[in-house]
Amino acid sequence: MKQEISALMDGELFEDEADSLLELVKLESGAHKDWEMYHLIGDVLRQPEYIHCGLSAKVHGRLQDEPTVLAPRVRAVKQKIRTFALSAVASLAAVSVVAWMSLQITHEAAPQMAMQQNGLHPASAQIKSKSNDYLMAHQEFSPSTDMNGGAYYIRNVSYSPDENGAWDKQQ
Amino acid sequence: MADREVDQQLVERVQRGDKHAFDLLVTKYQRKLGRLISRFVRDPAEAEDVTQDAFIKAYRALPGFRGESAFYTWLYRIGINTAKNHLLANKRRPQINTSFDAEDAESFEEASLLREVSTPENELMSKEVVNVVQTSLQQLPEDLRSALTLREIEGLSYEEIASVMNCPIGTVRSRIFRAREAVAENLRPLLETSKGNRW
Repeated sequence: MKQEISALMDGELFEDEADSLLELVKLESGAHKDWEMYHLIGDVLRQPEYIHCGLSAKVHGRLQDEPTVLAPRVRAVKQKIRTFALSAVASLAAVSVVAWMSLQITHEAAPQMAMQQNGLHPASAQIKSKSNDYLMAHQEFSPSTDMNGGAYYIRNVSYSPDENGAWDKQQ
Repeated sequence: MADREVDQQLVERVQRGDKHAFDLLVTKYQRKLGRLISRFVRDPAEAEDVTQDAFIKAYRALPGFRGESAFYTWLYRIGINTAKNHLLANKRRPQINTSFDAEDAESFEEASLLREVSTPENELMSKEVVNVVQTSLQQLPEDLRSALTLREIEGLSYEEIASVMNCPIGTVRSRIFRAREAVAENLRPLLETSKGNRW
């Protein structure tokens, strides 16, 4: 155990070992004396010009008259901060996932729409002049147009290449 | 677990109402703080009283200590303020440069600026303790003496000492312990004669 006390005062023990050993040093008189002795040796080696005895005993005596101090545990506060931080990160992650998923859906839908539009365009290009005549004849009866009657005077025009490859105006 | 973390563990114990844990901190820092205060308060008896006051003030202020700085930095700051207030209360000016602060206190080693502050009652005992420790150190085998010196005087970690001495960390740990124990063996008979005194 003395070797562990020696390592403890050098800060060379793991936290769980240190925790249990500090408890022992605090309560067991022999271990406490070793703690005092090793610190005294270190202090003598570092500062031989300032060595005195009795101070810790006097402070100990005065501490008996002091009310016991109590404070919120630093670790508990740190734990709360950590919990809050983890909650915030989890919320952010959830929002990110939802946003990413919605973006994925949008990206997938957009090409489909584009493909549909591409598909429609050739069909519209295939409208023949015969269809134009039919549409022209019935356009004024269409309930969806605001130009009932006026649409009659609208001429439908389209272009298509003739057999020689030249563009020709069709009516 | 670094030295600072050991202090933090002790501080947290005190903050949970454990007075005994504060005793361990006092044991650890009493001479370092006393030496610092003796730079302000030259009278040995007064310096010792101020050191005690500083520890009591630290104990009372400990609920407010959140660990943003190292415990010893915080403690040294309290020590310096207590010493300055003591001098002001006695209408005396600090006898050293007042720009000296806690951070400086961690590293000052100017022995020439210091003077012995042992009280008459323990002056002889203190000299004997120093003599026994230094003699014991010289009598140690070279590997033990080097390990202890590198740790206590140079402040190297076990890992650094292992690198310097070209040996495993476990060997360093063992050598430092054996060195301390060898010195302590010579010291115990002397300290047992000073009954009632705690070091």
